[in-house]
Amino acid sequence: MNGEIYRLEKDDFLAFVNNLINSFETIGVKEKKGRFVFSHLESAAELRLDHDVTILPPKKFFLPPYEKMIKFNVGEQKGELLGDNAKRVIIGVHPYDIVALKQMDMVYMEGRPDELYKQRRENTIIIGSDILRVNDFSFASSLGTHVVKDGFDLMLTDLGKKVIIEIGSERGRKILMDYARNIKEASDQDIKDVENHRKALPDRYKVKLDIEKDQIPFLLMDVFEHPLWEEESKKCLQCGSCTLVCPTCYCYDIRDEISLTLEDGERIRTWDSCLLPDFTKIASGEIFRKDKSERYRHRFYRKGLYIPMRYNFIACVGCGRCITACIPKIADPANVFNTLSRRKHESKGKLVYRMIEGVEAESHILPEPAVIRRIEPLTENEKLFEIELLSRDSFHFEPGQFVEVSVFGVGEAPISISSPPSGDNRFELVIRKVGNLTNRMHSMKEGEKLGIRGPLGKGFRVEDLEGKDLLFVAGGIGIVPLRSLIKYVLSKDNRPRFGKIYILYGARTPKDMLFMDEMEKWKEVDDVEIRLSVDTCPEGMKWNHSVGVVTTLFNEIEIQNPKETVSLVVGPPVMYKFVIKCLEDAGIKDTNILVSLERRMKCGLGRCGHCQINGIYVCKEGPVFRYSDIRNLPEVFQ
Amino acid sequence: MKPRVAFFDFAGCEGCQLQIANMEDEILKLIEIVDIVSFREISDVHSGDYDIAFVEGSISRPMDEERLKDIREHADILVALGSCACLGGINKMRNRFDENELIESVYGDKKLVSNPFFNVHKAKSVDEVVKVDYYIPGCPIDRNEFKRFVISISSGKKPELPNYPVCVECKKKENPCLFDEGRLCLGPITLAGCNAICPSRGSPCIGCRGILEKPATECIEEIFQRYNIDYDDLKDKWNMFNFGDKIWRKE
Ligand SMILES: Cc1cc2nc3c(=O)[nH]c(=O)nc-3n(C[C@H](O)[C@H](O)[C@H](O)COP(=O)(O)OP(=O)(O)OC[C@H]3O[C@@H](n4cnc5c(N)ncnc54)[C@H](O)[C@@H]3O)c2cc1C
Ligand code: SF4
Ligand code: SF4
Ligand code: SF4
Ligand code: SF4
Ligand code: SF4
Ligand code: FES
Repeated sequence: MNGEIYRLEKDDFLAFVNNLINSFETIGVKEKKGRFVFSHLESAAELRLDHDVTILPPKKFFLPPYEKMIKFNVGEQKGELLGDNAKRVIIGVHPYDIVALKQMDMVYMEGRPDELYKQRRENTIIIGSDILRVNDFSFASSLGTHVVKDGFDLMLTDLGKKVIIEIGSERGRKILMDYARNIKEASDQDIKDVENHRKALPDRYKVKLDIEKDQIPFLLMDVFEHPLWEEESKKCLQCGSCTLVCPTCYCYDIRDEISLTLEDGERIRTWDSCLLPDFTKIASGEIFRKDKSERYRHRFYRKGLYIPMRYNFIACVGCGRCITACIPKIADPANVFNTLSRRKHESKGKLVYRMIEGVEAESHILPEPAVIRRIEPLTENEKLFEIELLSRDSFHFEPGQFVEVSVFGVGEAPISISSPPSGDNRFELVIRKVGNLTNRMHSMKEGEKLGIRGPLGKGFRVEDLEGKDLLFVAGGIGIVPLRSLIKYVLSKDNRPRFGKIYILYGARTPKDMLFMDEMEKWKEVDDVEIRLSVDTCPEGMKWNHSVGVVTTLFNEIEIQNPKETVSLVVGPPVMYKFVIKCLEDAGIKDTNILVSLERRMKCGLGRCGHCQINGIYVCKEGPVFRYSDIRNLPEVFQ
Repeated sequence: MKPRVAFFDFAGCEGCQLQIANMEDEILKLIEIVDIVSFREISDVHSGDYDIAFVEGSISRPMDEERLKDIREHADILVALGSCACLGGINKMRNRFDENELIESVYGDKKLVSNPFFNVHKAKSVDEVVKVDYYIPGCPIDRNEFKRFVISISSGKKPELPNYPVCVECKKKENPCLFDEGRLCLGPITLAGCNAICPSRGSPCIGCRGILEKPATECIEEIFQRYNIDYDDLKDKWNMFNFGDKIWRKE
């Protein structure tokens, strides 16, 4: 300890707490049926600093389990960000929870900060407390989180008759000076007492990690196919408790709730959990982490590999809450990491894992107002919408990027931009009706308002494509994002910058084919070859092209210069494996294959966790990926 | 046009309809967005002309089955309201006994069986007789869930039930887990949506909203051992609302 340190006698400390209670919304650790919780303090007498751990961590005050984000009006499609201005003081936060908050800050405040989280964080004073009682399941000392040097405004050490107080920030210093009486400078003995208390702590932990914490990511790379995942997950109740109580878990779901008048409502964010079966489910019913062992494993990889690779910290602070909450007692990171390290040799396969460069999202929580300018029905299930942003004159994006379309009262959905970059504030979307939002879009009329967040994600980098031959392969609705790039490339100004163009496009039946009229025009452009196919052609329907899956079209073209050809592939999940095989057979390098992937999405900002493929966020590092970057990810094409 | 809704009751305590009747000032807002054409608990107006039928109670007599089929024919959307309708619920507890003996022990008169009003068969959930479009489970139902349902339907959204266990809501409410007190709670295998109302008040969940589609059961033996829980306790709790749904342990 070498900061500014003070001492209060116990009575003066209690008076200090009471003064805080009178002036702020003051939260402290209280008892609840033999366990502890952070809750509103009515008087200093309720405050407990001898807690082992609270049921929920203080994250509930920054990212509440149920949070109203936006208040909206359905008719006018107007939304307003809801804030929380309360000035709070939280007393009794243990060091591991302070470390966890610092981790949450990196996720929620770096890049584009989450406005709601940031506001709460800035309005809250953290008064930490040294650990007096060690939780039976905690292994904080193995992670070095049983003590902290910063991240608090004040840090208390309750030594019985006296409370020693370390200053962590200027505002911490100020509330101490303003609200406490009889403050004395800590004596050498006081400081020694605190140091001795802290030094003795590690020996009091019953649970310990057998490996160095820096070794955890390396261990995990070796044990991806370890039998332990199956053995342990068999017992998993899929209850999500291990993530809900975790101070470093932060995944969430978003939904709209409307009042009985159907006129107004709120956009809600609630805690979600990657252990729950529907976490990755998309409208077509597909679930991307289907097996419970995959979901069980995913949590440990988040803690020990994916987040460490992304943010450079182990996303577990060893608080032991997950183990307490897990009824079959299988959620224990210390036990799992220790067992894996002991039984490392049993693993049947490794995980080669690298981060992929992502894009910082250009979006906040609140959508921008927009209006539907034009609607064009394309097929029975797809319509084209021309959207105009009302709050700006220009909208810059790359082909392959997407937006979140928001209709207050219904929700949001990620939709690719289908028109080429134009510079003005209009763009086109093509939407297939499959669920709530997409159905609503189909019933909307020209002139109706909606909201847009974006552009989001990483698109096709046109600079990288210059001078190359381009082979587009589209399956079904996959033509929608590719159309943006195709139209860009085929425009008069840009055409000379690219080589030969092949377009292979397949859909289910002739009436599912999109943009047939545009294809006719594209064909007229120099050096463009287009091949079309349908899976089946019902009797009586006119069709002058091929019948068969899209890969049959590879027989109809000759790729003249495979080494200098870049292929751009977008289609349903099942298509990729087969198309990629054809491309590799044709001699196209994996670094020259670009794919765009679909996953369930909510935030589009790399926070809610839904779109992950292993640790990669499709909304941030994708949806467009270089095949060579993702081919080794086990969760990519299952 | 506002959807026309009607309520029908079969074998049940009408507690679910009461939850709706008790919505008080909200009921006035409710009738702004739907036309209630038949609801015995709040009015004696009846009409056979409706879009949405809310059916409460379980089905226990041939004459009920006929009536239910008739309702199905008239309704565009049929909703099972409450545990009795969704699962058979409490009424199914009697399914382990012989009907004739039951009648005799309850009414003291075996001959009643020939009276169609007493001609009962094993209690059935509504979907054992007709197709059900949506379920609003619970004993009784949760008013807010009913409200959300009506709002969804009226605003063109598909009503959805959560597909995760009660524990999720229980943890968000920061309850100490009852297993830690050595008490059996069906929370981990029961469909959420009630906001974990029972554990939040210190009572274990007894599964009134029904068991999850795929409950995790492989660990049950181990859990029972760890927390020193009696298997009969599970049987009793399970049978209360979910009688007949197989209990996993080989007996
Ligand atoms: C990067 C990307 C680009 C896309 N581009 C298009 C496009 O151009 N045109 C088009 O018609 N569709 C596109 N989709 C699919 C589209 O997002 C889903 O069909 C849509 O989210 C379904 O929403 P819903 O409310 O109608 O369905 P519901 O089933 O009611 O979905 C509820 C919520 O679940 C999530 N969800 C469900 N399905 C998906 C999904 N397939 N992908 C992501 N989240 C999902 C969303 O958050 C959605 O709001 C794209 C998906 C992604 C990930
Ligand atoms: S994983 Fe478990 S021990 Fe680690 S921080 Fe989360 S709840 Fe605490
Ligand atoms: S708390 Fe335990 S049982 Fe529940 S999801 Fe986590 S690992 Fe599975
Ligand atoms: S579900 Fe419960 S409350 Fe509803 S009718 Fe049946 S017994 Fe009554
Ligand atoms: S008390 Fe019941 S519902 Fe709550 S966490 Fe424990 S088992 Fe789940
Ligand atoms: S906690 Fe269980 S028993 Fe209680 S209302 Fe919910 S589902 Fe029913
Ligand atoms: S992290 Fe939320 S959608 Fe990608």
